[in-house]
Amino acid sequence: MITVNTEYHSHFKEITGLAGDSFELDEPLVSELAAKITEKYGAKMKALLIDPRTNDLNANGTMYVDSKGKRIFIDDTLEDGETIAFLVGIAGG
Amino acid sequence: MESNLLRVDLTTGEIKSEIIGHEVFEKWVGGSGINNWIMWQHFLTHDINCDPRSPDNIFVFGVGPLAGSGAGSGVKGRITFKSPCYDMFGDSAGGGKFPYMVRFSGYEYIAITGKAPKPVYLHICNDEVSLHDASHLWGKDTKETHEILQRDLGDYPSKTHTLSIGQAGENQVGIAGVVSDALRIHARCGGGAVLGSKNLKAIAVQGSGGIKIKRPEGIMKWSDVFRQSLDANEAVYGFKRRGTLGAVEMYQHIGSHFWRNNQGNKFRGEGITSDNWVKRFHKYSEVCSSDCFIACDAKYKIDGTESEAAKKYVGETFRRPEYLTTGSAAGALDVRDWAEVAHWGKITNDYGIDNQDLSCSISFLMEIKQHGLISDDDVANLFGHSQSLEWGNMDDIEALVESIVYQSNPFGKLFGDGPYKGALRYSEMMGQNFMKYAMYGKGGASFTEEMRPFPTWMNNMAVASRGADHLKGLGLIEKFQRRDLSQIYFGGPEAADLEVPTYKGASTAIIENQVALLNSYGVCMFHWMLDPAGYMPESYYGEAYRSITGVEHDSEMLMRDGERICNLEKAFNSRVGMRREHDTVCERWMWEPCPEGKYPGKVAADMFEPVLDEYYQWRGWDVRSGLQTRAKLEELDLGDVADVLEADGALARG
Repeated sequence: MITVNTEYHSHFKEITGLAGDSFELDEPLVSELAAKITEKYGAKMKALLIDPRTNDLNANGTMYVDSKGKRIFIDDTLEDGETIAFLVGIAGG
Repeated sequence: MESNLLRVDLTTGEIKSEIIGHEVFEKWVGGSGINNWIMWQHFLTHDINCDPRSPDNIFVFGVGPLAGSGAGSGVKGRITFKSPCYDMFGDSAGGGKFPYMVRFSGYEYIAITGKAPKPVYLHICNDEVSLHDASHLWGKDTKETHEILQRDLGDYPSKTHTLSIGQAGENQVGIAGVVSDALRIHARCGGGAVLGSKNLKAIAVQGSGGIKIKRPEGIMKWSDVFRQSLDANEAVYGFKRRGTLGAVEMYQHIGSHFWRNNQGNKFRGEGITSDNWVKRFHKYSEVCSSDCFIACDAKYKIDGTESEAAKKYVGETFRRPEYLTTGSAAGALDVRDWAEVAHWGKITNDYGIDNQDLSCSISFLMEIKQHGLISDDDVANLFGHSQSLEWGNMDDIEALVESIVYQSNPFGKLFGDGPYKGALRYSEMMGQNFMKYAMYGKGGASFTEEMRPFPTWMNNMAVASRGADHLKGLGLIEKFQRRDLSQIYFGGPEAADLEVPTYKGASTAIIENQVALLNSYGVCMFHWMLDPAGYMPESYYGEAYRSITGVEHDSEMLMRDGERICNLEKAFNSRVGMRREHDTVCERWMWEPCPEGKYPGKVAADMFEPVLDEYYQWRGWDVRSGLQTRAKLEELDLGDVADVLEADGALARG
């Protein structure tokens, strides 16, 4: 079992009402983290976080990075104590 | 598909209409592609090395076939000209209702040449086109100009929509923009100075016609599916509320802002977040054009309670700042109160001046003062009086803005063409090299974002046809580390990997071609950015384009069309003498390590040359000189362009 922290920004923060969370995972997998987050925050979070066409993390207009700034994908593994930031992914303007 | 081109010679007052035939769309798609073609033709009979502020320059407005068609992907008009600040190809996009109102009047392209003997405005009212005295508008800002024209011209046969310049354009400030309906600036490259040099204060349009669509049932079906697709993406709802401000938190997290002239890459203070904007300043959302299924625009009206600085701006109302307005104020200039950031957006829009060039010019001066490289006396010599240069001080910043807008002192005159030329001139004047502190790419002001960790983004800054630019090449595969996109484009993940140069130049080349298509369709690129794999410009949008125009080009042909458009921009720049050595970036990005954020220590030099080589290779250009080859141009059916370049000594040898 590992502990993974989360940071929620902008649209993610609106849905959760929180700046961050902490989750205990049986397996060190992004897929388990995503399942726990969607279970906790419901349909709106699931619609934002999961792409129904691929069951991967929704990449369209979103960005998820680990503490080193590396993007994570659904099949990645996580380390104990890692912090994942959930962000809006847009550029320019 | 056919279109009408309105030609206005301001020197003679002659106004005439020409048909742009279907064959032109077959080759140049529409929008920016046709603008480029009109300008290229113009400079076959006029001196391309002319002073961009002379009557020999041309100003083209154009709008692509998807704009206002019901496709729902937003509307972008485009202005194209030789840039007075960068002395190369210049163009700039702007949204709102003006572009499709031009279509409703019966025209899609307007070419302005010559110079009026006194200030005038152009009135297009369906097929009645006339020039009028604008002496009562001269000296007015873009908001006042718009309001006067709306009042005087009325609401029949339609409401009046305008494209106008403010005081910056009147004074021919090189970085002056052109403003659509007093709200949306075509900021980049100095189109406002071109109109100012021609004594054209505004274009007012009223149109009550329609748009011809080849297969209406096709575009109706396409737009239904497109709307459902957008509605199914929850991220779109966040984008509706925050617009491009949604980028603020991501940029803060990874370190991609442009703090104090890019001495850092994170905002200081806690105030500038999209959350704070939504909670305290957001009043209502609105649609920028009536042909957008996202509607990310919004308005504010300050009541004085929102923040400490808000007390200064009670009653002020304008658009929510976009990311780059925020990046320039909160980043480059270290302004820490949203009310002041919003005010910065409003005044630069009202004066009609590019806030990227402007902020980089001001932050340059603030930084060399910060380091003690110039004295209080030196500063006083620039302004004619003592002048504080305190980071984040909005009073100081406004004084510097006015200096440039009104060209009222040596600082304003030195920096009227942006930070690159300004820093060169000031270095020469002082006998000291300050170029280390000038932020630019290819002579154009930096977009106010940290670039050093992102090799594709950096390549965009070096090669973009209009000077440093992230809206031509758009390194989104790499910045968002989209290995899924890299797989689609290249069959492997390398383009998404920040640590290797592989496919970074290739990404620039391919996405430049795709963006050229979007700009030629006349749509906003943010819809595409929300699902770049799903809404490919050549395939997904291609279907809409075919339905509207009847130009039956498949995806492969459209990508070639996009490549052709990019090659014409390149050819323009080759004709004015630009070569590989011009495709470069400023000293700070090249050599000074990225100071903070998630990717510290990165410098552009790590990967710059191999990425640039790869870009030229994917383009089919000569790697040594950066020039185009006859073989590539002929492959794109541009043999005539190769002939012109050869005659000018601007074609690669061999």
